[in-house]
Amino acid sequence: MEKFIDKLIRQFESGALGRREFCQMMGIATAIYAAGGPEANAAPAGRGFKALGINHVSYMCPDYTKARDFYSSMFGMRVVNDKGMGRANLAFGPEPDKGGNFLVVHNPGANPPKPTQAVIDHVCYTISNWDEGKVRAALKAKGFDKPTGRDGSLHVYDPFDYDVQIGNAVQENAFRRGA
Amino acid sequence: MESFYATKLDEFAKGKISRRMLLEALTVAATTTAATTATTSASAAQASDPALKVQLVNHISYNCPEFKKAADWYSKVFNLEQVGTTKIDTALPFGKKGEKPFGVTANDVPLSSLIIRSRDLNAPPQGGGEARRKSRAVIEHMGYTVADFDREKAKVDLKALGVENVRDGGLYSLHMTDAFGYDVQISGVANNALTDGA
Repeated sequence: MEKFIDKLIRQFESGALGRREFCQMMGIATAIYAAGGPEANAAPAGRGFKALGINHVSYMCPDYTKARDFYSSMFGMRVVNDKGMGRANLAFGPEPDKGGNFLVVHNPGANPPKPTQAVIDHVCYTISNWDEGKVRAALKAKGFDKPTGRDGSLHVYDPFDYDVQIGNAVQENAFRRGA
Repeated sequence: MESFYATKLDEFAKGKISRRMLLEALTVAATTTAATTATTSASAAQASDPALKVQLVNHISYNCPEFKKAADWYSKVFNLEQVGTTKIDTALPFGKKGEKPFGVTANDVPLSSLIIRSRDLNAPPQGGGEARRKSRAVIEHMGYTVADFDREKAKVDLKALGVENVRDGGLYSLHMTDAFGYDVQISGVANNALTDGA
């Protein structure tokens, strides 16, 4: 960050950057720094991309409105870009342009996807501040009396019988597998 | 915050502060603002959390005939480590142990990961219980966020990595197929819930 600002000051001093542009660039630099920063995120040279995380999950179903209503009312996902045209985005986590994830729920298009040998058989979502009693009570209130799984990691089926898992940081953590 | 930058710049221009002082003031302001913004967002979100409010994708469970082949493809393309490998699966977290997920400040939200498996999804559940239901929904592609995404450069890089079926996707992304023909999309943060499908 300091190097970047130093460069900006030099450009300002040389007249290459005006006062207004300088302030705008500082604003952009601050936003990039908040989002992780290109320096911190740069991939090692010649070794593929630096993946920051999941961007979105594209979920195709017979009626996107049912999926939209389920995921928004059940898991607090925020409905975005629903124009009544057969798809909606359901945002969650950090702000959309700062690492937030989203679920795209959509109806089948004119060209159905080709069958592949791979399948995403379930998606697990993290719940922060997990309270076992409250989580189970909330599921029960939604009609899920008997979720499968174990404490800290539970499965339910959505309206299209898609397997949905919710978990906490202790039970569902890649670095704790087999622990 | 921009008025602060302008004030400091004016002070520097009038000789009231040195170049070094300007640099330090702007650096501290920029980094502090970033940290405060992140904390404020997290606090606001937590205040309205119901018990089931999800924070992030924890993992994607990807099943295929040869988990190692798929895992190696994702490791190669996305620089992901394979951890906790067993005879039937492995996990590929999006980051190193101890890191927080991109954009997350909470301490109890682990890195998202891909869990790549080779298992019989129709096998009867261990210990009895209900058999897996046949879903009428399908996750037909996955989108991943990468740093410093530049579409034209990414096309070249992907082809150099031997990735097949690389093609444009929307305004901000690329699609490709993985080792088992599964549709994978990559983009930067410009592709997000507000811009995708807008």
